[in-house]
Amino acid sequence: MRVHFQNFRKELKKNKALFLMALPAVLIVLVFSYLPMSGLVLAFKEYRYNKGVFGSDWNGLANFRFLFSSGVGWKITQNTIFYNLINLVTSQGLAIIIAVIISEIKVIPYKKITQSVIFFPYFISWVIVGTFVYNIFNYETGLLNTIITGLGGEKINVYSIPWVWPIIICIFNSWKWCGYNSVVYIAAVTGVDAECYEAAEIDGANIFQRIRYITLPGIRATVITMLLLNVGRILRGDFEMFYQIVGNNGQLFDATDVIDTYVFRSLTTSANLGMTAAATFYQSVLCFIIIMTVNGIVKKIDKDYALF
Amino acid sequence: MKKKLLSIALAVAMVMSALTGCGNTADQKAKPKEEKEETTAESEESEPGAEGENAETEEAAATTAAELDLSKQVEIVMYYLGTEPAGQQVIWDQLNEILLDRLNCTLKVNFISFADYPNKYPLLFSSGEEFDIAYTASFLNYSSLALKGAFMELDELWPMYAPKNYALASETAKKQAKIGGVTYCIPSLNRTYSAYGPIYRKDLVEPYGFTKEIENFEDVEEYLDIIKENYPEMQPLSIYSMGSDVDDCFMYYNGMYPIKGSQNDFFWIDPTEENPQIITYYEYEKTPEFLEMMNRWNEKGFYPKSALSDTDSKKFNNGIAPMLMHNVDNYVSSAVNNPEWDVHYANFATDISNLSFTQDAMVISNTSKNPERALALWDLLTTDEEVFDLFYYGIEGTSYELNEKDEITMIDTDNYSTSSMWAVRNSEYLKNSVGTPDHYGELKDEWNAYIKEDQGAQKYRSFVVDTTAVETEYSACLNTHQQYWWPLELGYTDSEEGLKEYQSMMEAAGIEKVREELQRQLDEYVAGLQ
Repeated sequence: MRVHFQNFRKELKKNKALFLMALPAVLIVLVFSYLPMSGLVLAFKEYRYNKGVFGSDWNGLANFRFLFSSGVGWKITQNTIFYNLINLVTSQGLAIIIAVIISEIKVIPYKKITQSVIFFPYFISWVIVGTFVYNIFNYETGLLNTIITGLGGEKINVYSIPWVWPIIICIFNSWKWCGYNSVVYIAAVTGVDAECYEAAEIDGANIFQRIRYITLPGIRATVITMLLLNVGRILRGDFEMFYQIVGNNGQLFDATDVIDTYVFRSLTTSANLGMTAAATFYQSVLCFIIIMTVNGIVKKIDKDYALF
Repeated sequence: MKKKLLSIALAVAMVMSALTGCGNTADQKAKPKEEKEETTAESEESEPGAEGENAETEEAAATTAAELDLSKQVEIVMYYLGTEPAGQQVIWDQLNEILLDRLNCTLKVNFISFADYPNKYPLLFSSGEEFDIAYTASFLNYSSLALKGAFMELDELWPMYAPKNYALASETAKKQAKIGGVTYCIPSLNRTYSAYGPIYRKDLVEPYGFTKEIENFEDVEEYLDIIKENYPEMQPLSIYSMGSDVDDCFMYYNGMYPIKGSQNDFFWIDPTEENPQIITYYEYEKTPEFLEMMNRWNEKGFYPKSALSDTDSKKFNNGIAPMLMHNVDNYVSSAVNNPEWDVHYANFATDISNLSFTQDAMVISNTSKNPERALALWDLLTTDEEVFDLFYYGIEGTSYELNEKDEITMIDTDNYSTSSMWAVRNSEYLKNSVGTPDHYGELKDEWNAYIKEDQGAQKYRSFVVDTTAVETEYSACLNTHQQYWWPLELGYTDSEEGLKEYQSMMEAAGIEKVREELQRQLDEYVAGLQ
């Protein structure tokens, strides 16, 4: 310990300027990421407003019971992981494809326009998207049913068929995020050495071969980092998306309820901060386990790609 | 190395939490001292600054006015739901002039918009922000917040510093304000009614021979049939994502009383029984009949098949739906706003009672530094007609006009509106809007004659549910109720199988435990009445 400390002091002296430059970032992380963690004690307390966060009495694991007592806990955990996995694969996969295609477009104005159009949905809020969804799928006046009846078919009540909702949600999620996610990949593709392409072209590689053997391996590190970063949020449902698209429609809850929406619904009616903290604590612990495992696996395969 | 890092991180975290913890204890230590200061201040003679008070106030509050120290000018901070009207500042200025004169204080109002309240309102009390007065209501989880210590206890303060308000509050209201024997809020002085039923446009159906008044669900169905047939572009019944009110109407129609006293409850009692037993939907003998009706309505297309994902809550006002099931206030405002629609109303709550006076109420935050002054201010707002009019309606000629019958019209509605601090309302001072249907007055007379304190639903209005002991199960039940009952009551799921599924899910959520606890509280309440 002593030795380490002395080393640290030496280091500090040597790189004063560097440490000073890092200080704001360190402070921000401390204040906004570490300090609030002390609030997690709420998960084990019976919160009273007049006693405050630290003064309230301990109540053991009672706050966690509400997630699991009725058997809903597992269901919503499964849903959360399921949605995040398919959303991760589809939106990141699409983003990679978009990045590759866009970087192959050589006409600059066309390239810019395409990129902007794909990026645009990112700016539309979920509230508006929720309205889109309702106006496309509602039974009486929805776009889908209008088309179906126009073609002489029978109306479909999409809101009573739970299994189509994962697909709908996945499509809208990809539509909204792929443009935004592709930015990082476009940057990565641009970073691939142009000489490689020239050499490949001279050797007679066609466009698909160039993508397969140069572009994709070139952005592998970025892909893995992005995957790792997103895996860390796998237990956090995109609350706004689910809330705006599904609303209060109980018929779809079995297929669409994630931890965040369940907690929101329960606690707007009874406002118990302890239970909310318990749910967050549960999410955080699971996220921690998952990211450690995935990072461990990546490390085993190739040490250079691991996050830490 | 890693272990060391971890231990350093932990040490930092502990120091941090210890620091924040310290801040907290310092706060707590500071409190008793302040209280001491306050008591010494109270015992002092009132300063000459109080001379501005008019003789009337002094007389009525002779016993207490002397105890209120007005020497220091303070700012009272008030929170309520709503959005600040654009021209409100003029009204605040005039009000503050009066307040400075009478109580040597000013009022600062902060608004929480209706879109934000589910998140912001609870945070108000957990953030430790210093403020004095807040609006509260059952839909803002008044009782659960009170039990968790968010509000100041008012048993002694209320009669002492708001004596006129205290004198005007009815015994029922005082009982309703108590949770576990402690008063946490000051209920409104406004008498409201549990009336609930269809509000409907008559102009649309009269050409088709429907001239009678609606009296029961068969009439409702007949009305909706006519609309469906002749106005295919309309949605006959207004239903949106917050569930339907038809189930509540149906239960009220059959004389049942929800033990929580408000809509969207799943525990009911029959008030005519001597020792009422709490039952829920799947035990009630008329539920299958109700669900059958709703299935039929759904098939006939009286409302959208995806209504629970539809967020349009203003279908009636926008003219999309000609019928809405709601309370009597909504009827009056709809009739006033749309005179050409010939809006009619039928009350389906057969066993009518006064809604709890805590439906709209005022609380003092436990962070308040000047609860005495805040209460004195509240006393003034609720029991002085001039101040009430200014606070609630604004300035005559600027924000409202009165006609010869003392009926009110709000003018310049872009800049002014009536206050949304509903707890301030006093039945004595409220004015009818121009265009209020005569029917409303008749209904009110009829209801006042019907309501007896110790009979029917009115007898149970002072029963306040305390779910602390079964909070986990209760939360789960609320959730399950929404998930399974809402689609069921709208006829989206098969009535028989759906009801069975609802029952099994509610049982899994722990409804029996909740019922046991609430039944015990109810038995105690009934025993206490005798």
